[in-house]
Amino acid sequence: MRKVVLVFLSTLLVIGGVLGPLVQAAPMEELKIAGQFGLVYAPLMVAKARGIFERHGLKPVWKEYGSGGAVREALISGEVDVGFMGIPPFLIGWDKGCEWKIACGFVIVPIGLVTYDPNIKSLKDFKPEDKIAVPSPGSIQHILLAMAAEKELGDPNALDNNIVAMAHPDGAAALISKKGIKAHFTTPPYLFEELSQPGFHLIVDDVTIFGHPFNFNVGVASERFHDRRPAAYSSFVNAIGEAMAWINCNKEEAAKLLAPEFGLTPEKTLTYLNWEGMNYTSAPYGLMGFGEFMAKAGYIKRAPASLEEIAFENVLAIVGSRAGGPSEIEKIQY
Amino acid sequence: MVKETRHLKKEKNKTLNQALFIVGALIGWELLARTGWFPPLLFPKMSEVFTQLIAEIVNGEILRRLAFSLYIILWGLGLAVLTSAVVTTVAMLSPLVSAWVQALMAIMHPLPGIAILPIIILWLGTGSRSIVAVIWFSSIWPLIANLHTGLRSVPTTQIEVGRNLGLKGIALVRSILIPGAFPYILTGLRVGWARAWQASVAAEMVFGASGGEGGLGWFIYKKRFFMEIPSVFGGMVIIILIGLLVERLCFEGVEVRTVRRWGMTSE
Repeated sequence: MRKVVLVFLSTLLVIGGVLGPLVQAAPMEELKIAGQFGLVYAPLMVAKARGIFERHGLKPVWKEYGSGGAVREALISGEVDVGFMGIPPFLIGWDKGCEWKIACGFVIVPIGLVTYDPNIKSLKDFKPEDKIAVPSPGSIQHILLAMAAEKELGDPNALDNNIVAMAHPDGAAALISKKGIKAHFTTPPYLFEELSQPGFHLIVDDVTIFGHPFNFNVGVASERFHDRRPAAYSSFVNAIGEAMAWINCNKEEAAKLLAPEFGLTPEKTLTYLNWEGMNYTSAPYGLMGFGEFMAKAGYIKRAPASLEEIAFENVLAIVGSRAGGPSEIEKIQY
Repeated sequence: MVKETRHLKKEKNKTLNQALFIVGALIGWELLARTGWFPPLLFPKMSEVFTQLIAEIVNGEILRRLAFSLYIILWGLGLAVLTSAVVTTVAMLSPLVSAWVQALMAIMHPLPGIAILPIIILWLGTGSRSIVAVIWFSSIWPLIANLHTGLRSVPTTQIEVGRNLGLKGIALVRSILIPGAFPYILTGLRVGWARAWQASVAAEMVFGASGGEGGLGWFIYKKRFFMEIPSVFGGMVIIILIGLLVERLCFEGVEVRTVRRWGMTSE
């Protein structure tokens, strides 16, 4: 009996001796990620479902937040290592002294101002009592509205008294029931749902305002995280890239995977993933364009002078710096 | 006379003690913020909060927001006072209605005003009307509860004495019932006022506020999104100051002139 126990124990020891170093050789680094809910965050849902972060040696800890403001506060307090937000909220933080930079672009989606009122064809047709819902003050939708107001009405603050802050689902519900608000500046899937209603139309869209597509969100990491944990940082960037590429190469499978999360049918999810303008990419688009406008309109004190001030080296490397004048990819940053 | 001065001295000591405590807490805050243990973006220095507050007062924004908050609270609270007076009067006249009111109170009182906001938005749309409705809903239940209990707690003997003195109808209500129920009425107003503030700030933060017509709740909400954290605290300071001011000037003043003068409190 004693012999059996001895053999058993020594076998365990041998197994432990062989496997122990192997397990230790690939330690999983913990990465705390701030996520939000919606079609934009599909790459994060895919990464979660397919264990993409784990394959890159990271042990992701997911934290869900309800708004970009909350994600920003979580990043500042060190509750999370990386998060995703629109360029304007990122710049507001940068302007206030947050030590963080852009680690990657994160998805391009169509954004638009929708109304049900046939008399509203442009921003000029808004009366003082017509309410326009945006997710929050300082959000990318609010800044786009201000940009459009400057272009069409000559004053970025012309519509500030018309805005009301509403989360996307509440805004969509209010617009579709035609209660309280006249227009809603929103993103997919709410944009698609609203535009599918009879008589609902776009007043203005993001590309018309900005001139070309731009990242709806950017991946943001603190300089502290980037400097102290370079391996985890690059694994994060690569994992995001892999999730983006997987969606693009496997749209139908992605739709099946995501449908239950959104409470939609796989067919409808696929329609949304393939909607014109949707682009699952981690390339940087339009990183610099908001800064100048926001500084001029007084939302931030100064605009970043160069991309180096707001983006990490992997982003700088993608954009490059062409001698003798900007390249195409440099031009689309503005 | 001696008792009076002693009472005043005690009051003075209390005020001094409270003031010292507040100053101490503010200094403690400043020192804690200066240690740099917390991100200054999330935990600003007290001195910064006050500098920013002064700037917001000078540029007029915070005062405009305050005026709007007070305007909308007075509307909501005023309507709630009127409604509760009518409801309680009817309840006093009819035991059946009294039972209904008590049942309704038991159902509605625990419901926070902010919880009905989504329904209010669907019925009334966004904007100040909805916020007034939420304030009305938040403050009416404590008002009715206190009025109702107050009026019913007036001893029958006092009412009988009044009747014997020949008081009837409105005169009886004015001379016996209202003074008798006054401590309750005052408590109801205090709770109603506090609840009205809470409701207005909360409602504006959840949604329903807009750039054109927004009070201090919207101010705090907007400053949060622009990461002007000292101003967020500044908004809170203003709400606290208004609370203290109204408590000291209105409620305590009324209390001293009525309930205390009538000898209805133990102090």
